[in-house]
Amino acid sequence: MIRYDHVGLRYGIGPEVLSDVTFALEPGSFHFLTGPSGAGKTSLMSLLYLGRRPTRGIITMFGQAIGSMSREQLVPIRQRIGVVFQDFRLLNHLSAFDNVALPLRISGRPEKEIRNNVEELMHWVGLGDHMNALPNTMSGGQQQRIAIARAVITRPRLLLADEPTGNLDDEIGFRLMHLFEQLNRMGTTILIATHNQVMMDSFNHTRLILDKGHLRVEQPETPVALRDKIIGGAP
Amino acid sequence: MKLKKGGERVLGKAQKRRYDLPLNKGSGTGFLVILIALMTFLGMLALASSFALSAMTARWSSGLENRLTIEIPTRQVDGSLLDKKGVFTLTRDIANGLHGIPGITNIHVLSEEEIGKLVEPWLGKDLLQGDFPIPGIIAVETSDMESRTLQNIHGKIKTVAPHARMDTHEEWLNDLLRFTGALNLAAIILALVIGVTMVTAVGGAVRSRLAIHRAEVELLHLMGASDRYITRQFQRHSLILALRGGFIGAVFGALFLVLIGWVAGQMGVAILPDFRLDPVQMMLLAMIPLVAGLIATVTARWTVTRVLTTFP
Repeated sequence: MIRYDHVGLRYGIGPEVLSDVTFALEPGSFHFLTGPSGAGKTSLMSLLYLGRRPTRGIITMFGQAIGSMSREQLVPIRQRIGVVFQDFRLLNHLSAFDNVALPLRISGRPEKEIRNNVEELMHWVGLGDHMNALPNTMSGGQQQRIAIARAVITRPRLLLADEPTGNLDDEIGFRLMHLFEQLNRMGTTILIATHNQVMMDSFNHTRLILDKGHLRVEQPETPVALRDKIIGGAP
Repeated sequence: MKLKKGGERVLGKAQKRRYDLPLNKGSGTGFLVILIALMTFLGMLALASSFALSAMTARWSSGLENRLTIEIPTRQVDGSLLDKKGVFTLTRDIANGLHGIPGITNIHVLSEEEIGKLVEPWLGKDLLQGDFPIPGIIAVETSDMESRTLQNIHGKIKTVAPHARMDTHEEWLNDLLRFTGALNLAAIILALVIGVTMVTAVGGAVRSRLAIHRAEVELLHLMGASDRYITRQFQRHSLILALRGGFIGAVFGALFLVLIGWVAGQMGVAILPDFRLDPVQMMLLAMIPLVAGLIATVTARWTVTRVLTTFP
């Protein structure tokens, strides 16, 4: 579904921030992207949501090599990707409802369908009473839930989330992760960039670990190994 | 949109989403409206001037077609002055001599009153009451302005009164046409300058808005908004501002033209161009705000499209 082959990225004439990055995200898979600060997570995320083009390598998304695609041809690819940005990137002049509705309007859905879907999702993320609120009048956690609702409203085939639990307390963070798992069970491929070790240990998924621009893939631990890790090995 | 307690905004049932981008917020829009209003105002003046000049040229040209004037000055070749009777006699003799010349369709000897009315705008009403020497004038209409006809007329004049002058108005008319042509060209150049200024102003305003809202535009782009979707928002915003400015400019322009027409009427000066406009000309003037809207829309589209091509 999504395949990176020896992908490299550099800014201008600087050194490569991503080198020979190779991995694949199978349809319906769930991955964590982690690594120390400055390892290149944000750069890799921007490549994934097509905010940049690589300087080398081949990227295949939804069965299409995007390197040779025109800007117009990338539009439907982008519409299949939902993104939760670390800084939310909500439009403060629009209500919470209109922020969530934005991707549907961009894809030209009828207004009645938009209203039904957005209202349902807003209730689902617990913001049914805040539909007309402007984002800058809401708490960080509420804004994050709007950002998540906006990312999933179109039922994207790929959901990218950059530190989605960063501003949330543990309880809401775990509820959110369960929400992502629910979406994943419905077929959405999910990649979450996070530093939260507890979260990654609690939800046992494949990890893409970036370090100094190089990526390695760590498969999820088997149930037995996981049990041993949590309760200690057999005597 | 109403404000609810706690600062939340309530969307009424009739509320319609205007823009995904906050283009109608912040400063700068008023400036653009004023600028477009001024451009429209100047455009109306330029176009109205062009219409008036064309009407004036047409009126004067058609009035002088196949016509010539013979003037019998009071001062003769030897420098002596003719009295009124002498002028009258010479004028009558020339007019009689012209009757037999082929190609002449009408001969009219202007009376003193008619000559007085002609020079009244320059010399005043009291001219005929004094001893001011008044020349004789004969207005001649011909079926053509061929050189043979003109030579015959000229020959006849010279045999009767060598100091008499024949004026076919050609030189004066050519000067007039050159003058009005230059004024028309100036009006066209002014219209072009107005157009270029409007394109520059709208383009600058759009680029400025793009720079201010780059993050929001980038977000729409990343969500899968096509260039057309984003461009449409800027187009619509620019169109609304241009129509608003165009309408204001057109209203003031129309009032100004009415005022000019009224002033010209009050002055009662016959040499001023006629400021009355026909329905087609009025319609063309009324279309200037629409042209402003079109220029603004196309400029916005072109500017945004160019900037968006720098996005991945």
